[in-house]
Amino acid sequence: MQLRRLPETLVNQIAAGEVVERPASAVKELVENAIDADATRIDVTVIDGGQTSITVSDDGIGMAPEDLSLCIERHATSKLPDDDLIDIRHLGFRGEALPSIGAVSRLSITSRTEGANEAWCLNVEGGRVSDPQPAAHPKGTRVEIRDLFFATPARLKFLKTPRTEMNHVTETMKRLAMAHPAIGFTLSDGTRRRLDLAPEQGELFEARLGRLGTIMGRDFADNALLIDAERESIRLTGYAGLPTFNRGNAALQFLFVNGRPVNDRMLYGALRGAYRDFLASDRYPVVALFVTAPSELVDVNVHPAKTEVRFRDAALVRGLIVGTVKHALAEAGHRAATTVADAALGAVRTGGQALPMSRGAGRYGRFPSSNPSISPGLSDAAAQFGAPLPGLAAAPAAPMATNDWAPVDEAESIDDPGEYPLGVARGQLHATYIVAQTADGIVIVDQHAAHERLVEERIKRGLAADGVARQGMLIPEVVELEDAGAERLLARAPELAEMGLVVEAFGNGAVVVRETPALLGEIDIQGLVQDMADDLAELDDAIALRDRIGDVCATMACHGSVRAGRRLNGEEMNALLREMEATPHSGQCSHGRPTYVELKLHDIEKLFGRR
Amino acid sequence: MKLTIERAALLKSLGHVQSVVERRNTIPILSNVKIDAGDASVRLNATDMDLDIVEAATADVSTPGSTTVSAHTLYDIVRKLPDGAQIDIDAAGDGQVVLSAGRSRFTLASLPTDEFPVLSGGELPHQFTLSAAELRGLIDRTRFAISTEETRYYLNGIYLHKAESDGTALLRAVATDGHRLASVEVPLPAGAEEVPGVIVPRKAVAELRKLIDESGDEVAVSMSESKIRFAFDDAVLTSKLIDGTFPDYQRVIPAGNDKVMEVECKSFADAVDRVSAISSEKSRAIKLALSGGTLVLSASSPEHGSATEEIEVAFDGDELEIGFNSAYLLDVTRQIEGEMARFTMADAASPTVMQETDDTSALYVLMPMRV
Repeated sequence: MQLRRLPETLVNQIAAGEVVERPASAVKELVENAIDADATRIDVTVIDGGQTSITVSDDGIGMAPEDLSLCIERHATSKLPDDDLIDIRHLGFRGEALPSIGAVSRLSITSRTEGANEAWCLNVEGGRVSDPQPAAHPKGTRVEIRDLFFATPARLKFLKTPRTEMNHVTETMKRLAMAHPAIGFTLSDGTRRRLDLAPEQGELFEARLGRLGTIMGRDFADNALLIDAERESIRLTGYAGLPTFNRGNAALQFLFVNGRPVNDRMLYGALRGAYRDFLASDRYPVVALFVTAPSELVDVNVHPAKTEVRFRDAALVRGLIVGTVKHALAEAGHRAATTVADAALGAVRTGGQALPMSRGAGRYGRFPSSNPSISPGLSDAAAQFGAPLPGLAAAPAAPMATNDWAPVDEAESIDDPGEYPLGVARGQLHATYIVAQTADGIVIVDQHAAHERLVEERIKRGLAADGVARQGMLIPEVVELEDAGAERLLARAPELAEMGLVVEAFGNGAVVVRETPALLGEIDIQGLVQDMADDLAELDDAIALRDRIGDVCATMACHGSVRAGRRLNGEEMNALLREMEATPHSGQCSHGRPTYVELKLHDIEKLFGRR
Repeated sequence: MKLTIERAALLKSLGHVQSVVERRNTIPILSNVKIDAGDASVRLNATDMDLDIVEAATADVSTPGSTTVSAHTLYDIVRKLPDGAQIDIDAAGDGQVVLSAGRSRFTLASLPTDEFPVLSGGELPHQFTLSAAELRGLIDRTRFAISTEETRYYLNGIYLHKAESDGTALLRAVATDGHRLASVEVPLPAGAEEVPGVIVPRKAVAELRKLIDESGDEVAVSMSESKIRFAFDDAVLTSKLIDGTFPDYQRVIPAGNDKVMEVECKSFADAVDRVSAISSEKSRAIKLALSGGTLVLSASSPEHGSATEEIEVAFDGDELEIGFNSAYLLDVTRQIEGEMARFTMADAASPTVMQETDDTSALYVLMPMRV
């Protein structure tokens, strides 16, 4: 059999398989071109999920007719002026997108530069290029793709339903739009607008938060923490959601490197590491983070669709993300998501049919008059509020209520809740929940969850201060791994030693464990080390070890904390509230569940139809 | 089958037998105890397929025969019957066993005897006799170090094997959980010259230990590569052995340790116990600082504060500071019956050897903790 060179068209079709996988990838390439062309507004129309036509028009710098014929040649680009693959400043740089798309579809490009008299139009059909023709078009470029993949029927067959493909296009557009808030984006499916994002005004953070809010929902803007940090010329900006504002999957985690949406395992691993103490392993935080690095420190040329990147110093970026996000979460302290309160309000039953109002009505006056915030609608608590209050009332005692409602003696309670974010304890319900009054609402605290979190934080502080004690192995355990796994593990050996696990190399692909964290007692070392090697491969973090230490801390905290059902007096309750205010992360338990719910007065007023 | 037995006799035997039976079983017959009535005696048999115990008790048998009933239920009933009661057991063979004592009457469900598993005997070629005291010493002074981590199954028992020291043949028991090791030896009994090294599982050790105290002076041991049998006056315990290789423990017993400390064991144990009250509940770390004739024990924790205690020791060597898990230290000191204990150390990262000064038949190795 003889070797031969493949014809140009076939070469382009093969290349197209790498770059243009589905309509969404074509949209991505074209929109990126538009962004690189300094457009301020980009309109995309996708019909039949991109099978019939995709049109992208922008108001960017446009192309002169001679550039037009060149742009559909392979590896022709205006974006590498110095032939320097290290210093990449545009989203595109390979010159592959247009020829690839042209090779598998009917492509038409119309463009006019600033100040030119007329626009020019060029048609490509399955790789065959026509000469540029004069045409009518305002400043900017309009690219129209019809019959995508008509030249590669195999690819055509693998397309999903138009609806699915449209969803992919929408996702792609959203990601690009998040990274470029100053540009207006629209996406239409021919009959209606799927996205309509006006250009955001103002400085970068404001604009970005506006854009993120539009895309990810208003809740995000209310429950996100501003991230802004810089380390050795790498800058991390963006917003990180509060741990209590979490999701069941990673769909709302958006990561960008130099304005480019990426799907990078290392970065996701760093995020997981940052939120590890605050979320159960099956819950995911909501974040949008933007890494800006000088182009010589990051290689974007590692993936055909550029969704993966490589940093020269990955550990630095990782450390930056973990450190900054953790710091921001710590500063947020005891904040719990506002959505928690919304959920609570949603659960409130209104209407009086279940409330013993006839009995309760007479007692209402016994509450301090400044206390309209305690809602009789809170389902569980409701009945108890209607009942007599033994501590306050000299009224005949009602036996049913004495066990469940322990009010704080008025004399000992502090009367000005204004100065405390979590307010002043007013009583305890069911010997489990503390009700506190704040300046503008009420707070309900789950005493066990809250105290458990406080104790756990204390234990962790102790561990961090003293280091993890390590028990030496009399008979060191040899663990067989594959070569790469062992190397990854050994590369992190100093860090692991800090956490109490001492590993050393033991020939090819094996490690020997010499010391283990003393607080874990006798452990399944084989299993632990295997898990860690997998974690390192997948997420670049030894999560298994941290988790096990965390589990032990959590168990100790659980045993060492006030249980539900324990009666607390007013001073104890107030002390708990004050400590929660002073302790970082006290707003959620280690599984991301809230430790308290705050209801604002205006929320309560809404419940009663006062607003 | 029909017999009459005194409550006390039945309770004693049943007490040994029922603890072998697991609380929950997927095979129903394993919940049962087999009652075998012969001439003037009754044999009780229980098994979990790995461990089998047979115990004999005197009884007044009117019709020989056998049956099986739930071990835990029977034990529960017998326990609650009044002292001195005479118990009649009658198995008519219709799947029911009637138990009556005084004015109480119980009808228990029974399963056919032929379903009851027999731990196949096989040949047990090596036979020797140990005194109860020797066996007790081998078990008591090693069992605390048995590993509970199931993934290292070969450490989940006591390694019983033949050894030699200074020309004397010995029978040695060794247990380790990877953090500490205990080794106890007795002179090799006659008949044990060819014994293979075997690992006796933890559950068998626990059951065996219960039997020693209530039996005579001698225990007949017989074993093969896969099974071991301990025969007492009334009871016979047969266990499968752990099919694994015990690590080469000799290598981890340091020979070159040159820093020797002698301390009065009781006061040392008490001091460790006191000082460790302060160390954190999971790691139980305690520090030993040696300098001249003084040992300073100390512990600290961010939550509870710190503690120190000084005791007089005999020590000649350079200053040394070494950390241990206090629970491990106490485990060892509890085994030492003599007055003085000797610690042989090298440095803060190497294993320490502990021994009773006057009795070198037992040796303990402890890996330090790094704090």
